[in-house]
Amino acid sequence: MMRKLANVVLLLAAVSLCYGLQVSKPHYGDLIGPIPARGELGDTVVGRSFEVRAEKVEFARKLKADRFGDSKVLTTGGIWAVVTVEFAARAQSATVAVASWRGTTGLTYDQTERLSFTDGLLPVAIDPGLPKKARLIFELRPDEVSDATLLISEKLMSALDSQAEISLGPVAIGPDGLPPGTVDTLDMTQPI
Amino acid sequence: MTAQGLDRENGTSERRWRRRSLWSLVLLVPLSLAIGSYDSVKALLGGNDLFPRRVAWGESARFGGSDWKLTDLRGAFGMSNLAPDTVPVLADFSVKIGDPDLQNRWLGCKVMLIDKDGRRWSPTSIASLKTTDNVQTCISAIFSGARSGDTLNLRETFLVPKEATKSIRPAVGVASERPHFLLFQLEKD
Repeated sequence: MMRKLANVVLLLAAVSLCYGLQVSKPHYGDLIGPIPARGELGDTVVGRSFEVRAEKVEFARKLKADRFGDSKVLTTGGIWAVVTVEFAARAQSATVAVASWRGTTGLTYDQTERLSFTDGLLPVAIDPGLPKKARLIFELRPDEVSDATLLISEKLMSALDSQAEISLGPVAIGPDGLPPGTVDTLDMTQPI
Repeated sequence: MTAQGLDRENGTSERRWRRRSLWSLVLLVPLSLAIGSYDSVKALLGGNDLFPRRVAWGESARFGGSDWKLTDLRGAFGMSNLAPDTVPVLADFSVKIGDPDLQNRWLGCKVMLIDKDGRRWSPTSIASLKTTDNVQTCISAIFSGARSGDTLNLRETFLVPKEATKSIRPAVGVASERPHFLLFQLEKD
């Protein structure tokens, strides 16, 4: 009788262990997803092949850019966010190609493609010992600027590779719905 | 035979098979791990330049079906549009073609510079220097239609920090030879 009871207890224990393993196992996408390297504005975030430091974030209503020798002003229905970053390669030359802005609600904005030929935008080729500055430019909804996270990786599908995740911190919103430091026009033709 | 005798014999046989099964695990577990990881290990070895094959200055080495020789490695100082501590470095090779099937033998051709700390620089497209018509890069040479016996002049340009220029050595890797790669020594080595 005792032996039967012990077997039933053992079976129940095995079933609950299996159930526990099943419900607690990470999603396949998480297992093979990017490996986060976290930091804040001003920190040097170290990934597998590159380091990145976000120096400053600027907001603007318009951007001035050169396109094939012509000066263009790019307007937006939202707000432009321009993040100045410095990249450094670690053990070998690398190319950093992808950046996105994840807002506080989880909405994620890829870097804009409206300034495709401007100098200093991604993709940026970096070599060991030769840090290089770049601009990451996003077109956002104004309510997505606060407590945002900047996501930077070498390639779009950075499976099992580093992804820098930089917390940009809280940003106050003025009565006009924009951050108080928002300028009218940022000149992207100026050197970084 | 009595029932007790049968039980004893069955028990002995069961124990023997249990022992055999346990011992077989010693073989089967590593074997299944090896089979499961075979493709990954093959991809790791085939996709990375891991083991250097040193080539003395002035000598040539058979690699990817051709004879590779480093002819020059020099800095191109004085370019105005670069940061002050950045030096463009030119690596020149003379390659005598053996097997002309370059699209297979030279697939994934990668010329790089390696310093004493193991840092690796890939060719740059930022510093473009004028070259004569018969100078090619490793990738353009693949599609040059070169025949067996031809000699190709290859040049790659790199951007290197000034502090690394003393210890950099050129290296060449191609998919057909990986994980081995050629590491060229300089005259002073």
